[in-house]
Amino acid sequence: MATISVRVEFGGGLELLFSNQKRHSLTLPSVVPTDNNTKLSGDDLSSVETKPVDVEYLMYHLKDKLLQERPELFMENNTVRPGILVLINDTDWELEGEGEYALKNNDEIVFISTLHGG
Amino acid sequence: MSESCGNPAVETEAIMNRRLKYDRSKLCIKCKVNSGRVVVRHAVYCKDCFPALLTSKVKRLLEPYINPSPELSRRKSLKASGNLLIGYSGGLGSTVLLDLISKIYLSNRSELKSQGARENKPRGGKDHPRNEPVWKKASVCYVEISSAFPGTVDQTDKIKLLVEEKFEALEFISLRLEDSFDRKWWAKIGRNTFSDLNVDVTNADLFFSTVSDDSIPDPVQKLRSYISALPTHTAIDNAIRTLTRILLLYTAHYTQSSHLLLGTSLTSLSISLISSISQGGGFAVREEAQEEWNPGSSSASTPIRLVRPLQEITMKECSLWAWWNNLCVVGRAKHPGSKQGIGALTKDFIVGLERDYPSTVSTIARTCAKLAPKVCAEGFCILCERPLQPGVQDWKSRISIRATTVSPNSAAPIPLSIAPLLCYSCHTTLTSRSSKAVSNFGNASIPLPIWAAVHLNGSPSDPNSIYAEGLEDKREANRDVWVTRKAGPDEMKAVIGDFLLE
Repeated sequence: MATISVRVEFGGGLELLFSNQKRHSLTLPSVVPTDNNTKLSGDDLSSVETKPVDVEYLMYHLKDKLLQERPELFMENNTVRPGILVLINDTDWELEGEGEYALKNNDEIVFISTLHGG
Repeated sequence: MSESCGNPAVETEAIMNRRLKYDRSKLCIKCKVNSGRVVVRHAVYCKDCFPALLTSKVKRLLEPYINPSPELSRRKSLKASGNLLIGYSGGLGSTVLLDLISKIYLSNRSELKSQGARENKPRGGKDHPRNEPVWKKASVCYVEISSAFPGTVDQTDKIKLLVEEKFEALEFISLRLEDSFDRKWWAKIGRNTFSDLNVDVTNADLFFSTVSDDSIPDPVQKLRSYISALPTHTAIDNAIRTLTRILLLYTAHYTQSSHLLLGTSLTSLSISLISSISQGGGFAVREEAQEEWNPGSSSASTPIRLVRPLQEITMKECSLWAWWNNLCVVGRAKHPGSKQGIGALTKDFIVGLERDYPSTVSTIARTCAKLAPKVCAEGFCILCERPLQPGVQDWKSRISIRATTVSPNSAAPIPLSIAPLLCYSCHTTLTSRSSKAVSNFGNASIPLPIWAAVHLNGSPSDPNSIYAEGLEDKREANRDVWVTRKAGPDEMKAVIGDFLLE
């Protein structure tokens, strides 16, 4: 199965939800289920609709695999919670298509909470 | 059925195409050369033009208010009449404010100085306005609130270390929320102290009594007693905001500052405006954005300008500035129950609104900036020191049931009430009980902050004091007219009997 590597960084206190670790290196499948089900992989994908891995899938991956507590503080209605700023390769994700941005190898995604006591 | 009016229950996938979050192209709208890196209210900016955007917004907001008179507001002749005090909470806004003010007004001055020293003469001559600092001295003040809530972590040392490391040009001043009740602190800032006052919060009239000097407890105890007697989480949030603001203002006066700057961003301002109006602070809506506070220690004292230079900068811009400049945001202290108040609920609403409709958040602040009260203020509130709306208590007594028990109609002297000296918002903070009240009123008589006691007890030479004696006269004059009591059905029928139809 083809995979890609991405770097993820958390800021503004968001790292507290992720074992207080700011930087993570992740390996993600290059093709993922359209419904962002993170439990399916490899052969399981042959029976479901798929898409190239995108930021939306990354968010589900982070929530299901790395988040330690209080998922409601990270995601809400299939996207990040209001007040969380996302940078894709140091650029506001609103310029890159938000969750629909197709991840590429060695991309760097940063999640910053603007609400850390703000 | 026409195609334009589908059935939403069936056509679950019928959603509109998502609108782009930015106008036109991905190029920076300022330099029109570089690729954009950030979208600010549908406008795209590159990383090079972004600092200039924030700097120009801060200057536009602050510089017209630096010189004592506005006609001298040209950049090169900026000269404040006193020192500068910056309020710092450890949150995002105040961290960004400290950084921007240091970079715009403080560090470039020291660079000029060192450049001048290298060249053995100041640039443009020693009397050139460019070589004069805008403020003679700049300080940063942090108010620690942990004493109010047992079990909360004290962040003073952490904040002090951070400020001293990153902002060398600023002097660090540490205050504690209990200073609001501390006679020693009040004396330290050069003010006269008077007897403490307690107020009975179980009665909407807020009767007060003087406390003998022997029974004065520790300021922390007084603060906790004050906070624990407040009826709702909203009231606790509001009280902390007010105490912090007034502590900063008196400190600004003590440090001979002409300006107090707070790091309220556009998002935070919109939250404060909506939250304040919903708590009855509509009369002082202009003061939420900007105010001039009169310290009142003598007739010669000049007002202190409280300015919020980030009030056109969104929380998103602040966050990006902090990220790109590697600023450490300690985080504002949170207290138990703070998420249940009107302020926290308003914050959730405005932050969600800002994501989808960022211009609407700016519209809130711009619309509120156009509002002005219909009538002139009748002095100021003794608790929050903001303008006092006339006739608040009369209005409140007409629209609500103030007491459910029958008042004895006796000739006993009625205690003095501070209700006429409080604004609507402060009166509501002390008295408005909800079905989910947090206070059990175990201690009904609570201490007042020291400035409120001083305003009530002050001397005739103090133009801001309100005499207890004067209050007594006012009460006596109004007694026959305003004393209310519950009348029996027969008595009521006798009064309106002539107008009843048989």
